Amino acid sequence: MQRQVALIKQSLFDQGYLDEQFVELEELQDDANPNFVEEVATLYFKDSARLISNIEQALERGSFDFNRLDNYMHQFKGSSTSIGASKVKTECTMFREYCRVGNAEGCLRTFKQLKKEHATLRKKLEQYFQLARQAGPKETARRPK
Amino acid sequence: MTVERQDCVALDQFPVGMRVLAVDDDQTCLRILESLLHRCQYHVTTTNQAQKALELLRENKNKFDLVISDVDMPDMDGFKLLELVGLEMDLPVIMLSAHSDPKYVMKGVTHGACDYLLKPVRIEELKNIWQHVVRKNRGSNNGDKKDGSGNEGVANSDQNNGRANRKRKDQYNEDEDEERDDNDDPSSQKKPRVVWTVELHKKFVAAVNQLGFEKAMPKKILDLMNVEKLTRENVASHLQKFRLYLKRISGNQQAIMANSDLHFLQMSNGLDGFHHRPIPVGSGQFHGGAAAAGMRPFPPNNGILGRLNTPSGIGGVRNLSSPPSSGMFLQNPTDLGKFHHVSSLPLNHIDGGNILQGLPIPLEFDQLQTNNNKSIIAGNSMAFPSFPTSLPNNNNHLVLEGHPQASPSAFPGHQINKRLEHWSNAVSSSSSTLPPPGQNSNSLISHQFDASSSNYSIPFCDSTIPLNPALDHTNPRAFYRATDLDSNANVQPGVYYDSLQMRQSGNYGPTTDAMLSSNPKEGFTVGQQKLQSGFMGGEAGSLDDIVNSTMKQEQSQGDLSEGDLGYGGFSSLRTCI
Repeated sequence: MQRQVALIKQSLFDQGYLDEQFVELEELQDDANPNFVEEVATLYFKDSARLISNIEQALERGSFDFNRLDNYMHQFKGSSTSIGASKVKTECTMFREYCRVGNAEGCLRTFKQLKKEHATLRKKLEQYFQLARQAGPKETARRPK
Repeated sequence: MTVERQDCVALDQFPVGMRVLAVDDDQTCLRILESLLHRCQYHVTTTNQAQKALELLRENKNKFDLVISDVDMPDMDGFKLLELVGLEMDLPVIMLSAHSDPKYVMKGVTHGACDYLLKPVRIEELKNIWQHVVRKNRGSNNGDKKDGSGNEGVANSDQNNGRANRKRKDQYNEDEDEERDDNDDPSSQKKPRVVWTVELHKKFVAAVNQLGFEKAMPKKILDLMNVEKLTRENVASHLQKFRLYLKRISGNQQAIMANSDLHFLQMSNGLDGFHHRPIPVGSGQFHGGAAAAGMRPFPPNNGILGRLNTPSGIGGVRNLSSPPSSGMFLQNPTDLGKFHHVSSLPLNHIDGGNILQGLPIPLEFDQLQTNNNKSIIAGNSMAFPSFPTSLPNNNNHLVLEGHPQASPSAFPGHQINKRLEHWSNAVSSSSSTLPPPGQNSNSLISHQFDASSSNYSIPFCDSTIPLNPALDHTNPRAFYRATDLDSNANVQPGVYYDSLQMRQSGNYGPTTDAMLSSNPKEGFTVGQQKLQSGFMGGEAGSLDDIVNSTMKQEQSQGDLSEGDLGYGGFSSLRTCI
């Protein structure tokens, strides 16, 4: 079971969904904080869901206030980076770049992509955490090879 | 992990248990940060609101050793928080951001950050942040020796306390070191922090002005101030902060003068949000000039008021009367708006003035009070120490700003007075600690009125603001502030004064008039300078009175709102008093 968990985790890293930062988080998990990573991930998804809906509203309005969008995205990027959501982070960067040059079309496109990545990551992580809980106490996090 | 723990433990307890306050609006990052800090064996308190953080800090200055704050926060700019904490509490602050842009880092440095970390934060970086606490302590403890030289030794990222201790020993005498080293509580290592109360700051400003800003040296300032238990180092570090502050707010303008005082104090006091505006206080130039120039952002009222208070300020105020000044105030209105939000007073926003709206003063005043209590300044004008009471400052701003729109030169004097009254009322209402104005306020108010009526100098006073009762709230405070400087009685004015004085390098007294009118008043004060002197005396207790009267005024004012309010207000004020 634990091997399965490890495999899933490994694949997340390999596929680029997660990066080093996630490992750091896992290292913070210990007896005092047994579910730290999952807690943080939950917080992240809650926060980011809110951000996403804000951005969505802003985009739907069609006014394209790039500054504001950039601000939202900056926040989003910040938390994505903290949790190690690598693909999501990449999309954030791209979105901000489009904002910077004022490319509305690019923003919309990127945002769609970003939402997709975000949803995928969420699903995968949920799956991962579920398995991990079933598997029992995890062994110390190891850096993915 | 285990290794880390051992490392920490090996360090004589400190930095283990170092108390950190973490501020970040992003819950995810905050949670991670908290966990990382726990891993370093620090004692962590978290909050996702800058306002809350300031409250926590003000509540007890000695509760924390270090603050880590995010840069982008919705309720307050991280840099502003940084400034405030640095000025008020003199705690090391570390900035945190996902922005790696050098501009931000530079901004962090100029605002006084000890360090700037990029997100995502790594635990290795956090393991060394304790060095900033030690560095700061050494700086303040080590007055005679060259400041900073001692710190160097400690600054390196060597976590080995022993080594740091040894280095320190080299630089300081053994006793000092030992005292510092063997505390498990980092805070006990430092000398008790000097609380820069309004009172103290006023003295400081006066001394600086006397010496001349450029020539002000800590030793001389210390001598002039003649305060027991104040060390040269304390003065030196305060001077440094002050200079930075001035530079920041005034840019090209004469940062030195008076305005910075209020602003400075305000900043220190943690005027939330208000501070960020640097008050272009030019010395003597009455805000009019300065304001016009720099006022824009309108630094915490303090700055403005400060200007007003000082005699030079008053002179400045005079300027206000001239058109330029009005310009200044006008600008303020925006700022005022900012201040206003705070007011607990029932200020209705001032027409155009926005000053009174939500007078921040009342709130601040409360803060002041708290601070005052803490700070010792008994009954004094707002204890500077915590500056947090930005109230006075805010008021100042408000005062100044609110009026821009005020009825044009209707009765500048009146307005100011009115404002003042309100302000005082507001103030008194908000701040329980205010020394019972008693007669003073009355005298003050009356003075003000007189002054104001006579001076119409300040055109802006006429602006809509003055009339609004709301304004008064603000004004009273402002007024008080100014007056208090002399009297020490009113905390609020104190704040203004300081800034004013600083700028003006004069005494605060005269400005009171201007200040009183709260926003517009300030302008008037200038004109009223003469009055101010008169007021000043009265102010000290009058603030409360004024506030009370203003409050009353407000109620009775309905008509006052028009330009003539000033007078109307005054009279009622008088009666109230």
